[in-house]
Amino acid sequence: MSAVTETSDAAQTPLWRRVTTALGRRGGSSLLAGILALLVLSQLLTTPAFGRWANIANILQQNSIIGIVACGMLLMIILGGFDLSVGAVGAMSSVLAATVIVHVGTPAGIVAAVLAGLAVGAANGAFVALLGMSPFVVTLGTQSVVLGGLFVATQANPVYGVPESFTRLGLGRIAGIPIVTIIFAAVVVVIWATLRFSRFGHYVYAVGGNREAARLGGVNVPLVTIGTYAIGGTLAGLAGVLLLAQTGIGQPAAASTWALSAIAAVVVGGVPLSGGVGKVSAAVLGTFLLGVVSNALNLNGVSSYWQPMVTGFVILIAVGIDSYQRQRRASR
Amino acid sequence: MLTMTQIRKSFGGIEVLHGVDFTVEPGQVHALVGHNGAGKSTLMKVLGGLYHDYSGTITLDGRTQHLRTPKESLDAGVAIIYQDFALVPDLDVAHNIALGREPGGRGWGGVAHRALARRSAQEAERFGITLPMTTPVRRLGVADQQLTEIVRALARDVSYLVMDEPTARLAPAERAQLFRIIAQLAERGVGVVYISHFLDEVVEVADVVTVLRDGAVRAVGPASDWTADTLARELVGEDEIGDRPVVPAPGGPAAPARSETGAGAARLEVRALAVEGRPPTDLTVAAGEIVALAGLVGSGRTRWARALIGDLRTEGRVLVDGRPLGRRNPRTSARAGLLLVPEDRKVNGLVLTGSVRENIELTALGTHLSRGGLVRLATVDRVVRDLLARFRVLPPRPEILTKNLSGGNAQKVLVARAVAARPKAIVLDQPTAGVDIGAKAELHTQVRSMAAAGTAVVVISDDLDEMLDLADRVVVLANGQMIQDAPAASFDRASLLAAMSRTAVA
Ligand SMILES: Nc1ncnc2c1ncn2[C@@H]1O[C@H](COP(=O)(O)OP(=O)(O)OP(=O)(O)O)[C@@H](O)[C@H]1O
Ligand SMILES: [Mg+2]
Repeated sequence: MSAVTETSDAAQTPLWRRVTTALGRRGGSSLLAGILALLVLSQLLTTPAFGRWANIANILQQNSIIGIVACGMLLMIILGGFDLSVGAVGAMSSVLAATVIVHVGTPAGIVAAVLAGLAVGAANGAFVALLGMSPFVVTLGTQSVVLGGLFVATQANPVYGVPESFTRLGLGRIAGIPIVTIIFAAVVVVIWATLRFSRFGHYVYAVGGNREAARLGGVNVPLVTIGTYAIGGTLAGLAGVLLLAQTGIGQPAAASTWALSAIAAVVVGGVPLSGGVGKVSAAVLGTFLLGVVSNALNLNGVSSYWQPMVTGFVILIAVGIDSYQRQRRASR
Repeated sequence: MLTMTQIRKSFGGIEVLHGVDFTVEPGQVHALVGHNGAGKSTLMKVLGGLYHDYSGTITLDGRTQHLRTPKESLDAGVAIIYQDFALVPDLDVAHNIALGREPGGRGWGGVAHRALARRSAQEAERFGITLPMTTPVRRLGVADQQLTEIVRALARDVSYLVMDEPTARLAPAERAQLFRIIAQLAERGVGVVYISHFLDEVVEVADVVTVLRDGAVRAVGPASDWTADTLARELVGEDEIGDRPVVPAPGGPAAPARSETGAGAARLEVRALAVEGRPPTDLTVAAGEIVALAGLVGSGRTRWARALIGDLRTEGRVLVDGRPLGRRNPRTSARAGLLLVPEDRKVNGLVLTGSVRENIELTALGTHLSRGGLVRLATVDRVVRDLLARFRVLPPRPEILTKNLSGGNAQKVLVARAVAARPKAIVLDQPTAGVDIGAKAELHTQVRSMAAAGTAVVVISDDLDEMLDLADRVVVLANGQMIQDAPAASFDRASLLAAMSRTAVA
């Protein structure tokens, strides 16, 4: 009986593992924050243009809209689902906003577009909650319906004629900070407060963690589900309006990558698709990590063909590290 | 011989096993006992190859083993029945039993389903267990799930078998059957590790007992050296108990807090509640009264409870404080103050991904823990900390994830959720499954004080002592029908068991 002692004492644990474990213990997002900080630092040292305010404002400008979508996506992912229709909703709302703004007026256009987003989101939630359909199928379906309807209605023609003044919302700055970023920040605060302080927010975690337990515990699961998807749709609608404000054109073919980008941002932020957990900080960090990566590639003159590949690797690596740690920490 | 030497295991920097030595000989029944959170399940999970980062040595029949995956452990001849089941809910019983050992069919990766079903049935029969082989596991009650787990482990012909609280959810008849199986296995030379909080069973069934307390071995010795009472003292820590007997004598003195039957006004009234074609049932529970719903496994107690809160569609009326509940579902019932604490804490009880706080606040958020849609965070924090202390949940930290709690502590959190909601009437389905002897007394105190505050309580339990100790009245259920309703004082263990069994035949 030879006693081969298996140890995992600190002395024998490799440094990198100790570091990642220490970071991981404080939640996936601090690990991500570390990666993001490293990335920013290396960019600052190697690419002087990166650190200029013009570039930073540019990064903020370009990523705030997808960040807003990601905030809604976060809620749906915590609930244990997701929404593939946010891109279609964004395109729809930007076209709708453009049309109403041109024919009626700006406030009416904004309200109509956001309400349309809310309606599609609520419909998604109703299908999921009341018919028990899977979010994948439901939102794939609505995505197709909305997009199809949009192309029928517009004959795939963009809508022009939005007044110059409206684009100030999308491109303007206040004290050097893009207005869209200020709106994004407001959305982040609202979602953060909802998850932390509201009963609805606490229910979202419970339903996402264990639907049956929440139901038996007296939670109105259908209502929570519909509400969550409605918020997701509303934010997608808002993002569509801001997209219109940036481009000045209601483009039916726009926003086709939103769903996957938003999901990517949330999961890169360390939120598992299995539901029940997740924080707003994850959506924000994930959004900017992906944004900074693509900005860095741009600044360094890397062909745009490379970008999806690099983004893909970032997702695999970030989520890979996170899952690896989860597995180590977990244990039945 | 199976030897575990100086086993240490930490979670997130906190060591929960502090160098444990544990030895099992072939043919031995070795009981592992300890309070909730002592580290029993963790030690056995180390043996099961679930952790790769333990330290210490494991040798099996003289050979050093590196058990880092469940497969390595199985290959080394160790099977473990975990406390929380590891069954595939959508597969039927036969396939779950055969999981990982499916007989090959024709073609690549094919499975001979018919042969499999036959073989699984034979394996169950070999140990005198009957199970509905073609039913998906998710539709089984917990007792049958437990039996499925047992057959699955037994069918593997291993040399060491670990059972983590196998009787926590079994009724007396199944327990007796399990003990016969254990004896049979030991005779064949299998080393059996048996974890349980039923200490009288432990002294009866085991050859050797190891007592674990706070992650360290406190005592090892032949079972004949112990009585249930001395064992309880060793396990909880002498000083905490004082002179009070830890194990109440069967049918012993009634609890002082017990209220007079029917003293209060009718709180919960059930009128002609009919569960799926079964005869309608009536029941009235007074404020402050505790009624035990007794019955064998399969007598329909859990279904009755689910029907009561409107989780199953049924005929009949339910009144709380004289007010009828309209369209009943779990939510409206909860609003009206009628709660169910479900029997299966993992499947439909707890939100395992959530913190302890999230779990305790869940139901009460619908009433007094929120105002205007906003959570009263400070109140929640106070309530949760208070309940963690009262229920002695270990560790008493609101933000710890529920999935990291030991089984007994998780059970306490589930009951604490109901207490936090201040129900008017409550049904507790197996409220102390897997709870240690000290904590069980605590839980009983909590249930009594809930009743003392005016709640109508219905307790479903397989533990005869628990029912007799806790209840004012016992209602016996058989085939969904209430066939006897008498004061608890008129029963003792034997007559209660007889009442439950007699009716099953009729
Ligand atoms: N995955 C985990 N992460 C963190 N802590 C854990 C984890 N699993 C168990 N623990 C902690 O380890 C300790 C021992 O738990 P264990 O499940 O072994 O107790 P037990 O003796 O089986 O108790 P019970 O009788 O309640 O089942 C507990 O304090 C528990 O909170
Ligand atoms: Mg345990």
